[in-house]
Amino acid sequence: MNSVTDLLSAVAIIFLVTGPFLLAANRLELPTVPFFVLAGIVAGRFIEPALLLELAYYGIALLVFTFGAQINLSGIRTVIADGELAGLGQILIVGSLGVGFSVALGVPPTEAIYLGIAVALSSTIVGTALLQRTINADPVRGRLVRSIQFVQDLIAILAILLLGAGTLEAGYVGPALAAGAALLLAAVFVNRYLFDLIGRLAGGSDELMILGVVALLTVFVGAAEFAGISIVVGAFAAGLAVRYDPVNYLGLFNGLQSIRDFFVAIFFVTIGALVVFPFVGAEWGESVEILLLVAGLVVLTAIVKPAVTTAILIARGYEARSATLASLNTDQVSEFALIIAIQALTLEALSPAIFDAIILAAAITMVTSSLTHQYGERIYRTLADRGVITGRHDRIDEWSDVPDDIVDHVVIVGYGRQGRSLVETCEAIDHPYVVIENDPNRRDIVTSECDAVVIGDAMERYTWEKANVGDAKLVVSTVNSLPVSRRILSLDTDAEITLRAADRATALELLDEGALYVGHPDLLAGQQLAQQIRELFDGDLTREELRENQRAELERRADHVPLHLR
Amino acid sequence: MVAEPALTVDFAIILLSATLVGFIAKRTGQPTIIAYILAGVILGPAVLGVVQVSELTELLSELGLAFLLFLLGIKMRLDEVQHVLKPIVKISIPQMIAVFLAGAGISLALGFSSLEAFLIGLAVMYSSTAVVIKMLTDKDEATSLHGKIDVGVLLIQDIVVVIILAVLAAGRPDDLAEVATTLAVVLVLVALITVAAVLASRTVLPIVFRRIADNKEVFFLVAISWAFLFVFVSDNVNLFLAPLGIEAYLSIEMGAFMAGLAIAQLPYSKELQDRVNPLTDLFVMVFFVSVALDLEAAQLLAHWQEAIVAALVLMPVKFFVFFYLIDWQGFDHETTFLGSINMIQVSEFGIIVAAVAFEGGFIEAEVLGFMTLLAIFTMGVSVYFIEFNHALFERFEPTIDRWTGDAEFEGGKRGYRDHAVVIGYDEVTKNALPLLADRYEDVVVVDRTVSHIEALEAEGYDAIYGDFRNSTIRKDAAIKKADFVLSSSVQTEVNKALLREVSENATVFVEAERVDHARDLYANGAHCVIMAPHLAADRLADYLRAYLEGDDDVIEGAIDGDVELLEKPDPFPNAHDRLGGELRD
Repeated sequence: MNSVTDLLSAVAIIFLVTGPFLLAANRLELPTVPFFVLAGIVAGRFIEPALLLELAYYGIALLVFTFGAQINLSGIRTVIADGELAGLGQILIVGSLGVGFSVALGVPPTEAIYLGIAVALSSTIVGTALLQRTINADPVRGRLVRSIQFVQDLIAILAILLLGAGTLEAGYVGPALAAGAALLLAAVFVNRYLFDLIGRLAGGSDELMILGVVALLTVFVGAAEFAGISIVVGAFAAGLAVRYDPVNYLGLFNGLQSIRDFFVAIFFVTIGALVVFPFVGAEWGESVEILLLVAGLVVLTAIVKPAVTTAILIARGYEARSATLASLNTDQVSEFALIIAIQALTLEALSPAIFDAIILAAAITMVTSSLTHQYGERIYRTLADRGVITGRHDRIDEWSDVPDDIVDHVVIVGYGRQGRSLVETCEAIDHPYVVIENDPNRRDIVTSECDAVVIGDAMERYTWEKANVGDAKLVVSTVNSLPVSRRILSLDTDAEITLRAADRATALELLDEGALYVGHPDLLAGQQLAQQIRELFDGDLTREELRENQRAELERRADHVPLHLR
Repeated sequence: MVAEPALTVDFAIILLSATLVGFIAKRTGQPTIIAYILAGVILGPAVLGVVQVSELTELLSELGLAFLLFLLGIKMRLDEVQHVLKPIVKISIPQMIAVFLAGAGISLALGFSSLEAFLIGLAVMYSSTAVVIKMLTDKDEATSLHGKIDVGVLLIQDIVVVIILAVLAAGRPDDLAEVATTLAVVLVLVALITVAAVLASRTVLPIVFRRIADNKEVFFLVAISWAFLFVFVSDNVNLFLAPLGIEAYLSIEMGAFMAGLAIAQLPYSKELQDRVNPLTDLFVMVFFVSVALDLEAAQLLAHWQEAIVAALVLMPVKFFVFFYLIDWQGFDHETTFLGSINMIQVSEFGIIVAAVAFEGGFIEAEVLGFMTLLAIFTMGVSVYFIEFNHALFERFEPTIDRWTGDAEFEGGKRGYRDHAVVIGYDEVTKNALPLLADRYEDVVVVDRTVSHIEALEAEGYDAIYGDFRNSTIRKDAAIKKADFVLSSSVQTEVNKALLREVSENATVFVEAERVDHARDLYANGAHCVIMAPHLAADRLADYLRAYLEGDDDVIEGAIDGDVELLEKPDPFPNAHDRLGGELRD
């Protein structure tokens, strides 16, 4: 192979090869990470990956650093407090399965740990990218996934710290933990007392601010190296040291994003370039072994992991559908597993064959993950119809409270702003109603504030049975989700239906399909906006009067908004 | 095969010292370039000797120059540059000849040999691309008229450098014919690469970038990939041509510039500038630090008196040569003065030419040291002249008037003032556009969706493609001078940053989703916060009440009205008339 020795050419080749792969990823609407790895496998034929390792380490550092930088220190306690610790149980179960499977295949136990980590953790980058398409439509699932991933990422950092020496020797772990804790304390100190000093010294120059923060990163990374622990821990601490304040440091966060994208691309491509593709570069016997391992990892990650997670979430009281869909978001190998793998490879704690298996499994599951995300609804439906996943009606029964004789009532779907004001209206004119809400976090509020509630998923038949929709007068959905809207239209009821839509085209479609009325908040907002601008321009109101009126209106409204929505 | 997971200390030291010196420079009002060069001198063998040029720093500084030129390319819209093309050629060629003669002359006078004097003359002809473009970009003057002239001249100088380097790299030429061949090959290559870039910007690029423009990460990285395609070809052009028996070199800067130029012709270039800028800043910093990293103190200082004398002679010579030539082309006094004062330094290419000549055995290390010192010194001094160029012009304007000819050249760009800015085009903000268009001469809409931009431009609005969080975009929309600003972002931090930047007299409408966000925004000076979900909640509750109380006429009328509104493809112009007809009245 004629490897390029010149660093500039190597970097140029990386990006040259990556470009077309990114175009393909964009075209297929798939996440970019697996395509970087694929590009790396191709680029690896022209370049010597060892040449790029140092640049790749900057990629790792920046990746972890930006993860840390986006954590708001003052908010971290509440995130962990109401975060979903289901992640922990899942990691333990799936991780042990991964280790067991690898040992059964003859992998030495010290290396099997890495395989266990690879299957247990899921990718925040891929998960978040996929979620962005549905996040508004399904807030419960979005919050669930994010908190699971957050817990996992913290565990990953801890794993990196502990595995920093390649083995779990007692003589290493103690000092390493101490050093890690010291770095985190230093980070908190910088965040509280020194960070604004950097801001002041930079004097409003984005260039100096970015430079200062990158220098801060190198100091922490250097300190981690000096203490003999992984640079990843240093980079994470440096991220925490950065005050997450996008208002004051808008240019900083945008700038870091570019620098990060550049180096992270190099990291993922380098990872791919390190892979020896089975049958192409390796021998037959070895290739079969690797493929077996890859297949096992893929099954564990893409099937066992979501299954375990779903089971745990259902046991914790989540609706079967939300639990399944959220779990399907975690069915890929984490980028942190890649970092752990490359670190172990350089420490020679991991054999190249097993490294290859982890990387290939990561690339494969990241692609399959976006498919399961796309068809999640259908997967759930199929499984539910065959009785593989059974929603637990006893929970719905236990939590819900609907009078048996309720008729001619209004069914209100969703207890947000709109739901709340609808409930108030019904109560004011003393009309019977039932609220359907599926967010366990809102359960207490809904049950304490409303006369009749069903805590359940609007996609499920049982929920509607429970709400006695057959005898209802009207169904008002305040949920901004097309599947839910379609589901409601397909209900077997004489009740009239009003829905909510995110855009005009959908609204018109739903009207065609039989809805009495479809609310479209933007339409109203647009009207109000035009009216106010007109009043201002016509001189009916001065800017100050407008402002005072609006503020008064806001305070009037604020009294009507449930606490959790303020 | 795999190295230890350690990051080199050298780069960390460079970063830290550059940051510290940069902070000090900022405090004392000095330009950052000076800070970086100074950091290099301190770290290099001339003072402390703690850092050596490693492969990584060399890469980053190469990338720094390449990205600087790429960024510059992205800013060059051909239709804006075309009109200065001819004068630029007429200025740059005589300028280089004149400065070459002056440089060779002063070198002879200072006691250098005739070959050395000849090469020094060749090395001092160019002005510094890195310094001038960095300063112009920092001062936001790269696309002003004098900026365009300077950039154009620098690029022509760049081509000449490439040719001279190609000749020098080939060793001592046997005859003039060989020189002529090399020259012809380089010119053909430059022409080819230009044609390739222009063709791509007309054919492939618009299609590709339109598809990816809505994905921030892919958009940025594909653009970088495009830049590296040109960098790679330029860097390895020798390998490609070797089978044909042709020996030729192109600078990676030239390739990067052409790659940028091709993208600049697309409507998405503004957004890209802001994405490339931070990377460029970081890499260019490494470039300036490493300028002085290579040289021993003894070599650097062997001819320090000569270097200072040469600098003191060459800077005014360069200024007057440029001044005379730009004035001769009929530009106005201010453009002439600014265009000349920016270009008085000796380029980093001077050092490179000298370094290649040193390796080719044409000159001694001490002469290379002399060139380096000359370049650093003139760059350092010129940075101050560029920094204060407008103040200098005002001070000397009466004198300049007497020397200059009549201004015949028209050009320049009109900026926005007292206009309306709309951030985000959606179902809410589109209602406001016709009202704003009636009231304001300019309505600028910033949006990140390609199809929106196309629709807006078809409607005759000024549309800027990009993310409002980026400073270039904010500058482009002249947010500080706007009289009316409407933001459809529901992100409080974006809106707060906006409120901080607008002028006191501006009327600001923003959107919010939560009550406490809205309160916060009013406290920060917003005049109206639109809360779509709350409005919808009120309206829906009204409808429900009417429905349950059996007010069928009212409910049907209202619902039909809403449906009619929904069906209207164009929500203006009559939509506002209906607003009185809400249920409550």
